[in-house]
Amino acid sequence: MIIAIAALLVLGALLYTLIVRPTSLPEPEALSPFRHVDEAKARIYENLRDLQFELRLGKLSDEDYARTKVDLQKELAKVLADADALKAELGVQTTSKAVKPKAAEFVCPHCAKKFKEAMKFCGACGKSMEAGA
Amino acid sequence: MENIGALAILLAFCLSIFSIVASLVGAWKQKQFLIVSAERAVICVWALVTTASGLLIYALMTGDYRLAYVAAHSNKAMPMIYKFSAWWGGQEGSLLMWNFILATYALVVVLQNRRKHRALMPYVTTTMMVTQGFFLMLIAFLVPPFQVLSTGGKSIVDVGDGQGLNPLLQYWTMVIHPPILYLGYVGYIVPFAFALGSLITKQKGDEWIFTTRRWAIVTWLFQGTGILLGAGWAYSVLGWGGYWGWDPVENASFLPWLTSTAFLHSVTMQEKKGMMKVWNLVLVASTFFLCIFGTFLTRSGIVSSVHAFAQSPIGPYFVAFLAVTIAITILLILSRLDYLKSEAPLESVVSRESSFLFNNLILLASCFAILWGTLFPVISEAIAGEKISVDAPWFNRVNVPIGLALLFLTGVGPLLAWRRSTPDNLKRNFLWPTVGMVATIGILVAMGISHFYALLSLGLCTFVTWTIVSEFWKGTMAIMQKDALGFVPAVIALTHRNTRRYGGYIVHMGIVLMFIGFSGAAFNKDTTVEAKVGEKFPLGRYELKVTDIKTGQNENFIWQNAVIEATIDGKPFTTLTPERRIYEKSQQPVSMVAIRRQLNEDLYINFAGMGNGSQQPTIQAYVFPLVSWIWLGYWILLFGSLICLVPAKVKMQYARTEVVGVSTKHAPVTK
Amino acid sequence: MRPSRNSVLFVLLAGLCLAQSSSQYVTPEIRRVGDKLACLCGACKNTVATCQMLECHYSLPARQRIAKMQKEATADTAIVAEFVKREGKKALAEPPNEGFGVLALATPVIAVGLGLGLIGLFIRRYRKPNAVPAMTDEEVRKYQDQIDKEFSKLD
Repeated sequence: MIIAIAALLVLGALLYTLIVRPTSLPEPEALSPFRHVDEAKARIYENLRDLQFELRLGKLSDEDYARTKVDLQKELAKVLADADALKAELGVQTTSKAVKPKAAEFVCPHCAKKFKEAMKFCGACGKSMEAGA
Repeated sequence: MENIGALAILLAFCLSIFSIVASLVGAWKQKQFLIVSAERAVICVWALVTTASGLLIYALMTGDYRLAYVAAHSNKAMPMIYKFSAWWGGQEGSLLMWNFILATYALVVVLQNRRKHRALMPYVTTTMMVTQGFFLMLIAFLVPPFQVLSTGGKSIVDVGDGQGLNPLLQYWTMVIHPPILYLGYVGYIVPFAFALGSLITKQKGDEWIFTTRRWAIVTWLFQGTGILLGAGWAYSVLGWGGYWGWDPVENASFLPWLTSTAFLHSVTMQEKKGMMKVWNLVLVASTFFLCIFGTFLTRSGIVSSVHAFAQSPIGPYFVAFLAVTIAITILLILSRLDYLKSEAPLESVVSRESSFLFNNLILLASCFAILWGTLFPVISEAIAGEKISVDAPWFNRVNVPIGLALLFLTGVGPLLAWRRSTPDNLKRNFLWPTVGMVATIGILVAMGISHFYALLSLGLCTFVTWTIVSEFWKGTMAIMQKDALGFVPAVIALTHRNTRRYGGYIVHMGIVLMFIGFSGAAFNKDTTVEAKVGEKFPLGRYELKVTDIKTGQNENFIWQNAVIEATIDGKPFTTLTPERRIYEKSQQPVSMVAIRRQLNEDLYINFAGMGNGSQQPTIQAYVFPLVSWIWLGYWILLFGSLICLVPAKVKMQYARTEVVGVSTKHAPVTK
Repeated sequence: MRPSRNSVLFVLLAGLCLAQSSSQYVTPEIRRVGDKLACLCGACKNTVATCQMLECHYSLPARQRIAKMQKEATADTAIVAEFVKREGKKALAEPPNEGFGVLALATPVIAVGLGLGLIGLFIRRYRKPNAVPAMTDEEVRKYQDQIDKEFSKLD
């Protein structure tokens, strides 16, 4: 009895671990080369937003606010310039989109097939995914 | 059954080794199926460790006294709940629980990230499984929980009944204190594993911080809760009214809490400014290593402590494990310094940025001082050849000033502006809190209080409270004006706007209340008397009288209690009945103190025993001012931490750059 | 088999009646000296004066000895010296300010000093007042529209 349970335990563990069917492999993630640029951008926007709020609270004088705001905008411009440089270097086009709170679905206006990622052309019918095109 | 348990542990150990190898080879050769297989091994490890734990719990609950562990830590008379808690009552079982919690965390991480962080995951799995493998090795080969009692030869002995759990531990907080503390101790592995993964894969951004900051907060909260439950238990059970004794094991649990507090603060610098990247890695790694070190300190017997488990042979293995993993971490950080460059300069010494530097300095100074004091007896014996004691007075001498400096920064930091604070900014924010502080100290001095640290502490508490309340007040007013909201909705909207910031303020408020409680210790009063029944004795503003002595017994213990009436100015105030128990199995006497808790002070009475010659009850009575504020502060801290976990309203809704097409001759970039 | 009630109570009382006499209680005089001496019972980090364990095998006799020596009009320092002679330096509650003991308090102070030094170094290395990326106003203006548009989405 105990030997049977022991054998079952070992066998179960081995089979579950070793037999991986191709369908259970995860799809490769879409990695954006602009990720760190986006992070830097988000950081500055966050800081700008905080700065504005602190002004409203009266924690800063108008001069302090104006000075820091100009600095932040300069930093932001630098990040945007870097992003453009990277774009040129990689030779790609990009779009900026706000992340919606829920996973957005992109529907092909021609064949109504749904996709997780935004695409320029539909993966099913091949027509342009942009509305009105 | 014990065979199945031992087999499950051994198999789990083998699978953890497999998982390490498969992850590393999979990442190296880019073979997804190996990586997935390694993750499945993690799931199997969890299932096996759970099986082993379940079997041990079953043996404890049903009283299988053939097992050495069950015989040593459980007995028939114990209530079910304590039979269950005997799972972590001894070395072997508590290591099994360590493994169980670690395996559970690993399982959650693997399940959460089946489709995310694929590049990081093999290294995350490896880090977790290296640790898991180490702890499984301990219970598979060195301190096995499923050992049966035998007499020399092969015959198994059933002793019929066990020793029972230490009676001091048969108390409700002791049922939850160890598991919660372990949840903290073990949990730091997750941020550490992601940090290492991001180091190895040379991630450019702060992905590991975004991914693990919630883990870090939850773990920090568990650790803090565990420490505080321990303090609460010591206060209500040990009979001397202390909640913190600077015992090596208490210190060991406090050290990672300090470094992780430093980490939670300094990540803000990385998130907001892209600064201090190396430092954050150092902090998260130190926290993890201090957790392992704390486990080692508790279990190796190198320092004497009430909490320590029986001496066992596992000490040298811990040292080896720590040495190897620390060396690897340092090498990794050094080899990746290029990826960890600061993205922004520091603009002014008087700024929010530099307040984080000082906050970190103070937290680490406290951490270092406590570590140093804990190890000093051992170090002095090893180097100078003579043991030198470092006791509570030393720890207080060092840590009271550090704590007050920290309290001061709690008030100052959040008011400094990012980048630079101008004199105008300082005046706007600090004038009134400082006035409040000076006024508080003035009033207290006028009331006749002259204890320097207590005055300073209470004054600083006013200062910090003022700054926090005014932050909420100003924010709420601004939102009420802008969005035409009522007061309460505006407070909620304000907090929701930046939950970690305002949740953090609430946590600070909890800390302030705790400091008020700590300050009370400067005014403790106590007396010990041998009082005849009917005789009165004074303590502070109370007059106490022993009115009766009763005795009795039940299955588990025999008891004797003293009925004590307390009066204030002749008016009856309360009746307390402290008790003495002797547990039959262990013959250990335990006192059950009686406490009348109030917000201003606790009346705390311990029935110490019957005098030898006189046969009169010996009563230890104490007045502990403000102690309740510590526990109150904890609830505020808990509330604030939970708010920090709520996602902020607008955070992360920034524009994201996506590659939508290739414009020129270049090939598409996917990685 | 459960022992009869009387014998149980006998055991109870025997357990409770451990050597106790009035000398175990801490008078202010005993506290003054006892605060300087470590309790070496191995289970606490308290001093002889503050150890609250009733049956403590170290602090109780220690207090009795302090009381006895005080009756013989021995000076505080002499009492402490007597304990150190008998138990070694570990009898002191705090490391002495001599020999290796100096390091006990000195090391944390040095560590804080080093930490301050590190912060100083950090500030020196990274402090750049007004160090904002060298962008001309024209370059900023180029991105101004985009900045304003994206920022307005946030709040």
